[in-house]
Amino acid sequence: MTGFRIEAGLDRGQCFQFTCDGQLVSAYPGESIAAALLAAGRRRLRTARRGDGRGLYCAMGVCWECAVIVDGEPSVRACTAEAKPGLKVDTVARPESGS
Amino acid sequence: MRETDLAIVGAGPAGLSTAHVAAANGVKVSIFDDNSLPGGQYFRQLPGGFQRTVQTAFDKDRARAEALYEVVRQTGVSYFPDATVWDIPDDGVLAFTRGSESGRLRAKLIVIAAGAYDRPVPFPGWTLPGVVTAGGLQNLIKGQRVVPGRRAVVAGNGPLVLLVAASLVRAGAQLVEAAEAAPIIRRLWRQIPDLLSAPAIVRQAMEYLTIMLRAGVSLRTGWTAIEAHGDGECEEVVLAPIDAKGGIVRTAARAVPADLLVLAFGLLPSTELLRICRAEMSWDSLRGGWLPRRSAEFETSRAGVFAIGDGSTIGGVEIALAEGHLMGLVAAEHLGCLTANAARKLKRPITARIARLSRFRRGLERLYEPPATYLDLITPETTICRCEDVTAGEVSSRQNQGYSSANAVKSSTRLSMGRCQGRNCLRTLVDLVAWHTGIPPEEVELPRARPPARPVRIEDLLQESLPAIEPIDHATAHLPRGERVS
Repeated sequence: MTGFRIEAGLDRGQCFQFTCDGQLVSAYPGESIAAALLAAGRRRLRTARRGDGRGLYCAMGVCWECAVIVDGEPSVRACTAEAKPGLKVDTVARPESGS
Repeated sequence: MRETDLAIVGAGPAGLSTAHVAAANGVKVSIFDDNSLPGGQYFRQLPGGFQRTVQTAFDKDRARAEALYEVVRQTGVSYFPDATVWDIPDDGVLAFTRGSESGRLRAKLIVIAAGAYDRPVPFPGWTLPGVVTAGGLQNLIKGQRVVPGRRAVVAGNGPLVLLVAASLVRAGAQLVEAAEAAPIIRRLWRQIPDLLSAPAIVRQAMEYLTIMLRAGVSLRTGWTAIEAHGDGECEEVVLAPIDAKGGIVRTAARAVPADLLVLAFGLLPSTELLRICRAEMSWDSLRGGWLPRRSAEFETSRAGVFAIGDGSTIGGVEIALAEGHLMGLVAAEHLGCLTANAARKLKRPITARIARLSRFRRGLERLYEPPATYLDLITPETTICRCEDVTAGEVSSRQNQGYSSANAVKSSTRLSMGRCQGRNCLRTLVDLVAWHTGIPPEEVELPRARPPARPVRIEDLLQESLPAIEPIDHATAHLPRGERVS
């Protein structure tokens, strides 16, 4: 696992889950989508035009490298968007399944 | 239209201290910020639901931080979080979006305190996931208490290298290398007199260095990162020394396994709004490039538009706070809330503090003057524009076809036309154009900045009820704002 949460001196509250590319990811209230994904070891957040992966870079809403699809809405910056229980996050556009 | 005395863009150290001092002197203030919580980058807050159980090293400077956060509740201050100021369409008018509250605000004075972002330095592998900016790492640690990797290398040029190295150690990551491009040890003695004008900041730097050394990592001065490799993510970083002439010594390069590379090459001021309202800019190579021209009391060439903090000249948090303080007094005086005499007396100590800090800053800038051109790190395959995926090879092939100006490169490659609006490539483009044409970087004309200053959703703009549109004058429709056919 690559990324991690610093645990010392902090109570993050009640853990909840959302999905990213169909897999469950844990998060805490107030966490950004990017922070939760990084802590889960998922660093590739989008695919550039030539097919190479990109991930969190500026973490302050400037660079858009962390843009993901949230509940079908494209171009949501994972670094500033808050994780919420039950969100459906996708790192690549995919047709709606099961409908 | 909504009205206010003083509109401030940015609720970081500079903007908040302006608001505090101006409102305390009776000025009606509106402060806009694109974050959900006040504090900006330096005083970034944890999410509301996180509870501190014990004090840790990350809670340093809490007292100053808490006092600044309170400013948004101060009498006379209206605070607009989650807001994007996307244009200054007319004298004294800001256009903003804030969900369903999109609209315009008329202000007697406008202060731009938009802060800064990390200077992009492209090299092979800098786009890999796991390669992050110094500001980004600090934000993740301060605002989320998350570290995006385990084995970390820091490389850069400037005081952020030490800060980030210490942060990583404190956060519990394994710091394996820290590389500072400038030969700062050799240069140090000449800058000591200037640096000692801010002894507290020097002490802090020594503390960071001590934390690093205790973790068993020494600072490699005169070294830089030249490549990052990995199968889809950063797995290895290659470092190389820089010789006395500024050349990268590739034969002495060494590769280290690392899943996190933090780039700390300094900051660039966020000048988009200033460029959009056509404030005059001037070139300062030691401070990252184009900066707004300012009077001694921070007024730009656009009357009534002021620029302070790292959004105007990279100076760090202490200068930002001091400039904000002075700005608050200047605004109160302009708006008739302070007499000239009273203002003079109040301004004197803060002006002296800014002079002292500026002397420190000059020493720091000479200490860290870039020892090499970062263009030497670029290969033809290196991505220059992250959003539109434009490589250095594509730029140079266009240049060889005669597309020599920055504008020509831009329109022929789409470089700088993506979502980050050039923040991650325009600085590099200036250097590439200067290198190719042989003209100095300060004479390279930047592509014109146009609204929106930041990406906004059409849907949000449609919330705004606009005044009736005047018929377009086709003779002037395509001219820069404010210019007329003679």
